[in-house]
Amino acid sequence: MPRDVRVATTAVERRAPVVAAVPGTGRTGRLALGAAVTAIYVFLLAPVAIIVFSSFNPTEANTFPPTGLSLRWYAKFFESAGFVAAFRFSLWLALVAAVAATAIGFLTAYGLVRCWRRGPGVVQSLAMLPMMVPHLLISISLLLALMVVPVPELAALIVGHVLICLPFAIACIVASLEGIDAQLELAALTLGASRLRALWEVVIPLVAPGFLSALLFTFMVSFGDVYIALFLSGPGRTTLPIEIFAYMQWESTPVVAAITTVQILLIIGLGLVIERLVGLRNIMRV
Amino acid sequence: MAKTILELQGVVKRYGATLGVGPVDVDVREGEFLTLLGPSGCGKTTTLHVVAGLLFPDQGRVVLGARDITRLDPQNRDMGLVFQNYALFPHKTVFDNVAFGLRMRRTPRAEIAGRVRRVLDMVGLPGVEARLPGQLSGGQRQRVALARALVIEPTVLLLDEPLSNLDAVLRKRMRLDLRELQQHLGIATIFVTHDQDEAFEISDRVVLLNRGRVEQVGTPEELYDDPATRFAAEFIGETNLIEGVVAAAAGAIVTVDTSVGARYEAFAPGRSLRGGDPVYVMIRPERIDLVPERPAGGVAMPATVSKRVFAGDVITFELRTEHGLLLRCSKPSVAEYRALAPGAPVWAVVRDCRALPRDGDGEA
Amino acid sequence: MATERREVVEAGGRSGRLWLAPIALLYLIALIAPISFFLVMSVFRYSALELWVPTVTGENFARLLGDAYHRAIIVRTLKIALLTTIGCLALGYPLAWYLARTASAWRGLLMFLVIAPLMTGVIVRTYGWIVLLGSEGTINTILRGLGLVDRPLKILHTELAVLIALVHILLPYMVFPLFAALAGQDPDLERAAHTLGAGRARTFLEVTLPLSRPGILMGSALVFTLTAGAVVTPALMGGKDVRMLGQTIYELTMSTLNWPLASAVAFVLVLCQFAILLVYFRSGRRRAA
Repeated sequence: MPRDVRVATTAVERRAPVVAAVPGTGRTGRLALGAAVTAIYVFLLAPVAIIVFSSFNPTEANTFPPTGLSLRWYAKFFESAGFVAAFRFSLWLALVAAVAATAIGFLTAYGLVRCWRRGPGVVQSLAMLPMMVPHLLISISLLLALMVVPVPELAALIVGHVLICLPFAIACIVASLEGIDAQLELAALTLGASRLRALWEVVIPLVAPGFLSALLFTFMVSFGDVYIALFLSGPGRTTLPIEIFAYMQWESTPVVAAITTVQILLIIGLGLVIERLVGLRNIMRV
Repeated sequence: MAKTILELQGVVKRYGATLGVGPVDVDVREGEFLTLLGPSGCGKTTTLHVVAGLLFPDQGRVVLGARDITRLDPQNRDMGLVFQNYALFPHKTVFDNVAFGLRMRRTPRAEIAGRVRRVLDMVGLPGVEARLPGQLSGGQRQRVALARALVIEPTVLLLDEPLSNLDAVLRKRMRLDLRELQQHLGIATIFVTHDQDEAFEISDRVVLLNRGRVEQVGTPEELYDDPATRFAAEFIGETNLIEGVVAAAAGAIVTVDTSVGARYEAFAPGRSLRGGDPVYVMIRPERIDLVPERPAGGVAMPATVSKRVFAGDVITFELRTEHGLLLRCSKPSVAEYRALAPGAPVWAVVRDCRALPRDGDGEA
Repeated sequence: MATERREVVEAGGRSGRLWLAPIALLYLIALIAPISFFLVMSVFRYSALELWVPTVTGENFARLLGDAYHRAIIVRTLKIALLTTIGCLALGYPLAWYLARTASAWRGLLMFLVIAPLMTGVIVRTYGWIVLLGSEGTINTILRGLGLVDRPLKILHTELAVLIALVHILLPYMVFPLFAALAGQDPDLERAAHTLGAGRARTFLEVTLPLSRPGILMGSALVFTLTAGAVVTPALMGGKDVRMLGQTIYELTMSTLNWPLASAVAFVLVLCQFAILLVYFRSGRRRAA
């Protein structure tokens, strides 16, 4: 889909979200803000950067800066059946959860944006319910439910992940849908399309960026989840974070750092793919 | 008289407790260009959307030919609708936009290409097929929207203020093109606008709406010469309205005593007015003659020119009569009228006037 | 435009509720029912043999609220949650403001950088802080290298450590609602304020800040929720010295197996949340009115 489609998404005038260069700020103000923002980014990324660097540490200590350069911990990671299996499982789970959450999220978002204009606030807030409940609670409750209802644990794990991912999917798709002129669907109807056809031909192509961002966010949320998996993991069903958590109870070597670096490479890879497809700018509209 | 293609019978649409529009009783004839005219909020777009099937009325029927289509889905109504904002699919090329309706009707691919090209030629846009709507100008987009609605050869063409988003010059040109195209195709068309000049220039008949109610239906001439209500008189062109009471009625001619003392013989066609009825005397500005001396016959009033506005081809005067009445008068911009300056005394002769019914409180 | 919106409501509204059925069903079966079930347990009796005995009793709450130890944990959790929220707000607002107002071409990347750490997971980022703050860690190494301290500072296993780590981990959750609120503001509003004579500070205080309130509330509600329910970070960063409600629930459920008490703790947690959410909704509604 061509990039300039984004520009012409609506016939209705959209207000520009961006003001040319931070306005109304003098030289010092701008410098101060720039410094503050840089400092905050350092705060945000430093621990991650440290992990990446310490993954190359030849010794077992958790020191930074690393005393040398070695790939032994990466080797250890790939050799470890447990970690590799957990990594693959996390990937698979995140994919499943992302797709499911995006699908249900789309249905919900469409219902909210097109059919619930009267009271969007309340109903939309209800859709965000899982965000307002500690994940811990969701997890324990599902575990409890498992004792009462005979459902495979894997299903409960997936459901748990879908639950915590849904609010993100909904937010992304609602943001995207709101930018689409409602009249486009009406036009398609008057031209002879059924409601479903109109959805397929008009809405879905235009919500594509929303879908992508929903998939991206939900994938990340699911992959990084600890609390749901804490109670619902099991033999053969361990996610990577849980595997790391267990490992860290006994040992604390830079293997963890190596695994994290691989994860980070994965995210960067995802980010690059999205940039190529739709452009990161267009995704980050939550 | 031409055949009726579409009929609205007693259509009423409410939004909660507020009246959207209704009751509307209108028929659209074969090949006719019918305009729904009125200020914003008057219900004209609502009416159009009821015809298109995007809204279902609370009361009344929509009849197409012999079929009652009141509750028929929009996709099955065989009408072409052009939206005010065009609603072109931004992710599809011009070709795909125009071809959309044909694809929905399962037209064979080879046929689609030919028809799309022909209709794009017809609206004056050859060669833009591969472009995206975002790459077109406003006027071009408008024509693509039109092409998209026309290519499916609908029974009725519906246009929702299609020219509103164009600049004035383009607008004037496009409305004539539109009318020409419509006449060439002979397709029954319902056109919505708030612009009275536009409506008059291109319509066969006009439906005047105000706050959800139909004020009047008629040809432009009928609406101009014989407005049915005060609103109609004031919305269409300029007018003078004088409050009065019917003194005597003889057929279509009534004698009116006005509050300013003068007495008029007014024409009131098709209205059964009786002595004592409150009315307005409506005088169009160009129906007042200005003469330097008292004329032999006719109703003449001595007056002074109080204001004068030169508008190129026309001069508008404000006259103050001896009764204190302010009258608007417009005259062609020729020497004798150009010479009249504020303060000059004249005699105003009313060539003809109408009588309109008036509510007790003078409601518009 | 109101007409169009109504129409889509008409056209889609007939089946409107259908769209929301899947999520409603999911929430009901997988979220509301199980959680309610779990919370109800707080009034049941604990038994070493079964998980719970269906006799109604108030002993769990009595224990929870009467015990000074548990009360301290509740207070500490609330305190840390509040401080974390404030910290996230302090750091997140400038970031969100910058992201919302900048025209830089790197905007997409910068925003991506804010959420990317989310994916690495709580554990790993906490691990990073352990490396940073441990006695052999980076900070201490730097401080000792510079000769500022003789012995390593004990930063880990303190409330401060937990606070820092939590702020770091939850910052993205604050940045996003704030960003959404700030980016959605009409830039003309600020310009109008300027032309009326308001300086930058004034404009910010009187126009931008109040309008970003929904974002602040949403972000705060989110961060507070996530902090109150945190287990991993307090466990790893605070150890035995800094215990919070989340860890208590975890231990009660997995080690002690006292589910009714765990449920009571969770109930208290949820109660605090509801209080926060109520504040959030009330303010939101007042603003809308």
